[in-house]
Amino acid sequence: MLQVKSPQDLAAGIVFIVIGAAGIIFGMDLRLGTAARMGPGYFPMLLSGLIIAIGLIVAARGFSLEGPPIERIPVRPVFFILGAILASGFLLNMVGLALTAVAVTIIAAYARRDVNLKETILLGVGMAIFSVVVFVYALNQPLPAWWGR
Amino acid sequence: MEFDLFHNLATGFGAAFSLQNLGFALLGVFLGTLIGVLPGIGPIPAIAMLLPITFQLEPLSALIMLAGLYYGAQYGGSTTSILVNIPGEAGSIVTCIDGHQMARQGRAGTALAVAALGSFFAGCVGTIFIAAFGPPLSALAQQFNSPDYFSLMVLGLTTAVVLAHGSVVKAIAMVLIGLLLGLVGTDVSSGLTRYTFNITAIWEGIDFLPLVIGMFGVVEIIRNLEHKELPRPLIGTKFRDVWPSMKDFHDSWRAVLRGTGLGSILGILPGGGAVLAAFAAYTVEKKVAKDPSRFGKGAIEGVAGPEAANNAAAQTSFIPLLTLGLPSNAIMALMMGAMIIQGIEPGAAVMTKRPDLFWGMVASMWIGNLMLLVLNLPLIGIWVRLLSVPYRLLYPAILLFCIIGVYSINTNIAQLVIVALFAAFGYLLYKFGCEPAPLVLGFILGPVMEENLRRSLVISRGDPMVFFERPISAVLLAMTLAVILLIVLPQFRKTREEAFQE
Repeated sequence: MLQVKSPQDLAAGIVFIVIGAAGIIFGMDLRLGTAARMGPGYFPMLLSGLIIAIGLIVAARGFSLEGPPIERIPVRPVFFILGAILASGFLLNMVGLALTAVAVTIIAAYARRDVNLKETILLGVGMAIFSVVVFVYALNQPLPAWWGR
Repeated sequence: MEFDLFHNLATGFGAAFSLQNLGFALLGVFLGTLIGVLPGIGPIPAIAMLLPITFQLEPLSALIMLAGLYYGAQYGGSTTSILVNIPGEAGSIVTCIDGHQMARQGRAGTALAVAALGSFFAGCVGTIFIAAFGPPLSALAQQFNSPDYFSLMVLGLTTAVVLAHGSVVKAIAMVLIGLLLGLVGTDVSSGLTRYTFNITAIWEGIDFLPLVIGMFGVVEIIRNLEHKELPRPLIGTKFRDVWPSMKDFHDSWRAVLRGTGLGSILGILPGGGAVLAAFAAYTVEKKVAKDPSRFGKGAIEGVAGPEAANNAAAQTSFIPLLTLGLPSNAIMALMMGAMIIQGIEPGAAVMTKRPDLFWGMVASMWIGNLMLLVLNLPLIGIWVRLLSVPYRLLYPAILLFCIIGVYSINTNIAQLVIVALFAAFGYLLYKFGCEPAPLVLGFILGPVMEENLRRSLVISRGDPMVFFERPISAVLLAMTLAVILLIVLPQFRKTREEAFQE
């Protein structure tokens, strides 16, 4: 009976194998060519093959060598931080930088527990003023300050 | 030759001493000190955030500012290590050990001064190192052909993997994944798109910035939020207390010299850089000390050695990039990205085609180090006050700057989706014990490596022996083999594990 001794290694190995396999499957229709005349598929196939090979080694180590467990993945920070990034993508084009800055600050703040909403809104407004002044006006970055532009 | 060096440095100082470039050097080292002092933000996301702003600058100004940010962070990082026992920056982790003990014994000022003066000395020597080793290395690189370049990159990536933190096998896989990701987009030789899934945003390849911001900047924020915010018991200090006594000088100058030498050499090696140099210097100081038991209890050498080493290494890690076009760590990969965006191909050609750029940067580093000394010692009180800003106010701001930086490249919101994807990917891999730095190195070298492999095999009509027949390439591959053998040897493995343990 196989026993998982190093969950981190096993998981990493599986991720590597999946990436290598994806490289091969999605690169199927690329012409390989020969070594002397490498086609667009030659180097990607070589790399994907190597990635799978290492993935197998790492996964195998997961059964043979003792290793640390996988730490718990905290849902809250991951959800709110990634949420803030994705939300900013929609908001920037719609309402401009100033309001996006407030929104990002508030969403990101909820990645922690015990949010002080008043403090957060103040920080958000401060960030909005700072980023509009610095990035839009002083540095001339291609960002809309408000909606409709 | 000596006249050449003098002449070259004169060119460099001429270029760096323009009012504009002095200003950008000051801005760079100032921001570098700032992010160095603040725990929870390192130089990688900071450089990435600033990249879009540098698009509009002249190449020299942009590089001067970004370089200043990197070595400035090494100065600032030590302040936090010494005063609050939290490394402000990865290169200053070991400084915590003895630096903070010194602070608790009421010698915070001395520790800060030794760190800053040691760093300044090391920075000056590092600059001379670049000036001395740059021209011969770049002359050597001009004899390189495609097979040699390919082998050089194999050697560079292998060394980077061996010297980097963490599991070697996983790091190799990360390099390969990076190389594969680097190939996404339009293939230069056939004009076909690869792995684009008809998404227009990645037709020309995955942009460098969203990838780095996602894997370093955002992952770092999530990692910091995982842990409860530690209280920062601050030990205050004033400028008045800063000047070290004659005895302190006497106790530390040898450590500074050793740290500078070690750091300068380790900085050149791929995978080296400030972090490794500081660890190595601490180990060496402990080994050569007459009474090693003093270490961990406030030994001044334990501050002087590593601090000199990390700054020297931050300086000399520019050598492989500027002369061979080979980035030796993730920060140099970013610098390479900045150069490419500016239309400069990193490598031997920089020295011949744009001598003002190379020598201007070298000169600016010396000027920057002088500015840092002035910024750090008398202004220590201001930096200390910054430390009282809690992380809960800091991270929304960092996140917002990351978003603005990425959006400013081409105002395409798809880039922000890419940031989120790479953040999730990087975070998951971090949980599985994989470091992101090798992936970034592979990513930036992917297309170059494929092109050189292709050309080599065209020359040799498909015979892979070409890599062993050309003398330069054969030597480089033999060195690669030696590096691989080194890691297999039990003795080296033990030292490596010890070095990363501390």
